[in-house]
Amino acid sequence: MADPILQVEGVTKTFGGLYAVQDVSFDMAKGSIVGLIGPNGAGKTTLFNVISGYYKPTKGSIRFDGKDISGWPPYRLAHIGIGRTFQIVKPFAGLTVLENVVIASLCRYPKKTEAEAQAWQILERTGLADRAHLAASGLTLAGRKRLEVSKALALEPTLLLLDEVVAGLNPTEADQTIDLILKLRDQGITILIVEHIMRVIMNISDEVVVLSFGQKIAQGKPGDVARDPAVVEAYLGGEVR
Amino acid sequence: MELLPQAIVDGILIGGIYITIAIGFSLAYGVMHIIDFAVGEWIMLGAFTGYYLNRWSHIDPMLLLPIVFIVFGGIGYLIQPLIHRVISGKKGNPVLMGLVFTFGLALVFRGSGLTIFGFYSHSIPAALAKNSFFIESGNFFLTIPHIRFAGLFYAVLITVILQYILKSTDFGRAVRALAQHRESASLMGIDARRISSYVYGIYVGISAMTGVLIGCIFSITAQMGGEYTVMAFFVVVLAGMGYLAGVPWAAFLLGLVQSFFMIYFNPSYTLLAVFVILFTILLISPRGLFGRGV
Amino acid sequence: MTNTFRKPIVVGIAALVLAVLPTFIHDMFVLRVLTESIMWIGLAIAWDVLAGYTGYLNFGHGAFFGAGAYITAFLIKIAGVPFLLAMPAGGLAAALLALASGIPTLRLKGAYFAIATWAMARALQQLALVLDITGGPDGMRLPPYLHPQFFYYVMLILVAGTFAVMWFLLEHAPFGLKVKAIREDEAGAMSLGIHPTVIKMQAYLLSTVPAGLIGGVYAYWITYIDPASVLGDLVTDQAVVMAVFGGLGTLIGPIVGAVIIYFFKTLFWAYLSDYQVLYLIILGVLIAMSVVFLPNGLYGTLTGKTSGKTAIQKGLATGTPEENSRKQGRKEVVHG
Repeated sequence: MADPILQVEGVTKTFGGLYAVQDVSFDMAKGSIVGLIGPNGAGKTTLFNVISGYYKPTKGSIRFDGKDISGWPPYRLAHIGIGRTFQIVKPFAGLTVLENVVIASLCRYPKKTEAEAQAWQILERTGLADRAHLAASGLTLAGRKRLEVSKALALEPTLLLLDEVVAGLNPTEADQTIDLILKLRDQGITILIVEHIMRVIMNISDEVVVLSFGQKIAQGKPGDVARDPAVVEAYLGGEVR
Repeated sequence: MELLPQAIVDGILIGGIYITIAIGFSLAYGVMHIIDFAVGEWIMLGAFTGYYLNRWSHIDPMLLLPIVFIVFGGIGYLIQPLIHRVISGKKGNPVLMGLVFTFGLALVFRGSGLTIFGFYSHSIPAALAKNSFFIESGNFFLTIPHIRFAGLFYAVLITVILQYILKSTDFGRAVRALAQHRESASLMGIDARRISSYVYGIYVGISAMTGVLIGCIFSITAQMGGEYTVMAFFVVVLAGMGYLAGVPWAAFLLGLVQSFFMIYFNPSYTLLAVFVILFTILLISPRGLFGRGV
Repeated sequence: MTNTFRKPIVVGIAALVLAVLPTFIHDMFVLRVLTESIMWIGLAIAWDVLAGYTGYLNFGHGAFFGAGAYITAFLIKIAGVPFLLAMPAGGLAAALLALASGIPTLRLKGAYFAIATWAMARALQQLALVLDITGGPDGMRLPPYLHPQFFYYVMLILVAGTFAVMWFLLEHAPFGLKVKAIREDEAGAMSLGIHPTVIKMQAYLLSTVPAGLIGGVYAYWITYIDPASVLGDLVTDQAVVMAVFGGLGTLIGPIVGAVIIYFFKTLFWAYLSDYQVLYLIILGVLIAMSVVFLPNGLYGTLTGKTSGKTAIQKGLATGTPEENSRKQGRKEVVHG
């Protein structure tokens, strides 16, 4: 792969004696969508947290655009263009939708007026502009997930980490979100997406990485991965806990 | 140099007291996730209760300990639901709400203590306070007051009993489950509220008993609470918050610091030394000496 | 957008009224009462900046007041520094204290911060009792400067200025948004480029420097300070009650709380001075009951502002286990 935007190299993360993630490596090409899947407890969230700076890798490294960013804290990563959403969606309560995004916009536009201008643009892009002055906690789940994405977008990221942005939405909302993701990819943003809903991952990913018990067990095009016997076994065999 | 063994022994003896204060406190923290700012005041209230009970009944305070435990255990058990209500509002963050609330509670207790007990200092006369063990060996001369030794014995006893309860009884297992993962424990049928009430009751009961003991060994005033709250915080942070096994070590360390300052330096600087150590620990190893704090 | 300026305009008008007041009031006692009530407004707002807006409880708030008082007293009495230079030095002392105590503790959960600041306040009081240069338990007596009107104006300008700065930073400038973001969801804020410890430290300084400055004014005004009066816990206790009862997370709430509580206190001590310790009980009950029944404070409940409740909920997190997946090393994360 020429000039991958993200290189995960031999990343291991342990908690005490527990190997949550063990020796996982993969590259992400610029402008691609990579899906990260695996049964529950496979280590997807942990890996996400390592890449987005919430955990330091016990072993291994992460490279972003060639730079070693292993162990960089999340706020540093935000400034160099890595944004993420969270699985448990929690907007800044007590603030409006607009204010929520403005906080993110301040990263690139420290002046409040400029940040607000950019925030409006983002809200237009993600379809939340009509609810800008509503209390963020008053949004529906779909709205809140949309807000999460808006905040991450306000960072003007080159790499976007999406954690379960489709889960919990009804089919219409899910389709709208998928459209948004594809649009973002077309605008040049590289996306790493964790999702439990298979049809979403398989339909939009250029590549899929499969984790099981903390290790990478497969990587490749969605169709190939779906047929991989190790993957099938991981999902079927691994459900019994 | 001759004073060193005495300093060490004194430190260990005082440390015993701090163990009991901190172990209950740490347990309450582990289960309920609240830092009880009123811990020193519970000690003060227990001490004064012991004092007045002793004055009224002329029963030796050591024999009053179980009574004090039951009374205050009951009070703690009954108060816990109020605390629970405080810490589980619509958007609950237990520790913060608990903190402001217990801060207010401490103020109420202190004010009440001053109102009822005045500004005087008292001591509880105990039979064991009259004599000491004397150990002589060459140049070394150790004085171990019976009552202080009893305090250490009491601390060990409490620790052992708690240890047994936590490891080998159903109740103890429920407590540990609750401390580790409240939601799963509730889902498995553990009555979180009742267990929390018991735990809080045990903690208050132990603290009150320790107060009585302190009254026999040292003196008590209505203002004494704050000092012991600091000590409880110190031991618990040093041991690692919620990490019970670290408590004895941290408590003995505190006792040694205190006795060394009393014998070798100026006792007035003890609090400052404690504070400096506390801050250093927070700077270097906030999860406590053993890195097992929460 | 004109709405956002309404509050400071109202407060500005009130300040103007207050500024003109001394020309009509000739009773020095009343003037002193007013001066002190303005002082408490300042202390309460200052505490709220860290507690209500940022979600960190500084139970050693009084130590900054006392530090400012002692440094100012020391400079005036022993070094002969004029008051208008000594008072800012008090603020500087508070800032240094904040830096020293904040660096180890602000990166930790709020519980540690509350404990550490509380312990620090007690240690500082102990220090003042023990050292000779602070006069020990007898405190310090300053050369008297008996001009009640002067102190009234100094206090008014100081507190009004503090309010203005805080209003600007917290309600108008980006800083306020960042602070509230940290209060609501520190982990989320981090992912948006906000460095929590830096912002918290800034809020800490914003909270403690005014307290130190006010302490400096207090020292010169009352001309006598001792560990019990300026480093005791009554300063913190009252500031806490005023802010919690008035309404955390707002600037007006503590003003309301300060006025009510101070008014109550003055009446109480005028008529029930035999029962001074009862006052402590009442303070404690007010704090505890406010948390239970009025988490948004009086002002918050009456105006429907909800940031107070969140403030009481943030910051001193242990993080329940389901949030473990979002923890980074020692950093714990709040999740409602």
